[in-house]
Amino acid sequence: MKRSEPIFHIIALFILGIVFFLIWNFTGLTTDAVGANTEDRAVQDTLDIIYEHLYQLMPICFVIILLSLAVAFFLEEWLPHKSWYYRIIERKIAILASIPSLIYGLLGIYLLVVPADQVSYYPLIITVTLLVMPYSVQSTQKAIQGVDISVREAVYALGASRWQVITGHVFPYALPMISGGILTAISRVLATAALIIVFCVWKIPVPNSTSPFGIPGIVVVLLSSALLLSVLSSLVPKNMNINRIV
Amino acid sequence: METNNFSIETENLNLWYDDFQALMDVSVKIPDGKITGLIGPSGCGKTTLLRCFNRVNERYGNVTTKGEIKILGKNIYDSDVSLLELRKTVGMVFQRPNPLPISVYDNILFGLRIHSPFRSLTRTQSDEIVEDALSSVFLWDDLKDKLKTRATSLQLEQQQKLCIARLLPLKPQIILMDEPCSALDAEGTLAVEELMSVLAGKYTFLIVTHNMAQARRISDECIYMFLGELIEHRETQALFETPEHPKTADYVQMRYG
Repeated sequence: MKRSEPIFHIIALFILGIVFFLIWNFTGLTTDAVGANTEDRAVQDTLDIIYEHLYQLMPICFVIILLSLAVAFFLEEWLPHKSWYYRIIERKIAILASIPSLIYGLLGIYLLVVPADQVSYYPLIITVTLLVMPYSVQSTQKAIQGVDISVREAVYALGASRWQVITGHVFPYALPMISGGILTAISRVLATAALIIVFCVWKIPVPNSTSPFGIPGIVVVLLSSALLLSVLSSLVPKNMNINRIV
Repeated sequence: METNNFSIETENLNLWYDDFQALMDVSVKIPDGKITGLIGPSGCGKTTLLRCFNRVNERYGNVTTKGEIKILGKNIYDSDVSLLELRKTVGMVFQRPNPLPISVYDNILFGLRIHSPFRSLTRTQSDEIVEDALSSVFLWDDLKDKLKTRATSLQLEQQQKLCIARLLPLKPQIILMDEPCSALDAEGTLAVEELMSVLAGKYTFLIVTHNMAQARRISDECIYMFLGELIEHRETQALFETPEHPKTADYVQMRYG
């Protein structure tokens, strides 16, 4: 496998997303051309919900990917591994990952939504990011650790700077595992969110929506996007066989 | 070669991993253009000493170094020394062959590319460099049709030679080798040794080895270390035949471990 392949993989995903978006916009699925037929109207509303959730998901994914890359590379490449602060941070991340997601949700409501006295989009981003980060940082760390240490040493010994080692060597080889890990983390969180909705807010009607699907519709959307993401993450080649030397 | 030409000089070099002292007052002078062998039992600090010379040790964070290391007359712990330039001058070959998992061609050019501005090498230049490097390690005939194959799919012996070839475009003065033959079979070992003796004179070699026959075969001078201390440093033949220090005698005559 060439090392540029995972990058093409991701570019392909992006192009797919853009095509998806364009089709969505230009086939009139989101326009107001609503027929008198109530069935059309229901389908329309459900599609709108799906669209809205996918749309909200994108910036969250973006923030999560950037942050977990930054944190994991900082931990693995900058901090000395045997130092006490590295060990403390690593343990704290493990503890954060073990906190049930419901706690994050409650914290989000009581710390961010209640004081502000309004429902907005930002508490959602912050809470979901906090929820996913421990998993995604852990999986990114594992991916970075998985890059063959002897080869990394060779690159350093040739005189590469830390930045060159990371961008030219560690990142390309860890990329498949990183993207797989982050996708898995996000899909796991989506599935949990769907579960919470099923148990907690099933009966609450969605305001301004005539969709007969309502909350179950959202649950279906969340679960199916979780499924989609986990299928995607399994498509990404995780074990690039770099370490075939001996 | 004149004996007052030294490429590496250390003066009372001490090194600690946390609070474990791995090197104790090592003062050594490595002559220019010769092959110097480092022998001693496991854990005696050979590899640590070797790694000091291009400051790879520092990456582990818990290392404290005291003393002076002069490479080509310049103290490498001076603040104006560029780590990149130092590692360019002092190349290193590792125990396990570790070519990068890219093509043979890119492997050779990798070092040069990170040291020169982006896209400053022309195609003809780089072709020449690759041919030069591969021919000086006698791989050109075997690999000239396989420049695009992945380096990790070569034979081990070829991989290790490639790891040496990869240093050459950077024009190093000193090549450090950390048990370069321990992953190779007899034939591969012989090939790498031949290569070293051909290249010696152009480059200064410093080789860590557990194989005393090998040290005796290829090195001009030999250093015996024991528990972080430098016990004896003499010409190879003298060290093996008439060792001065009783500990050296024990080791080279196989009465030790």
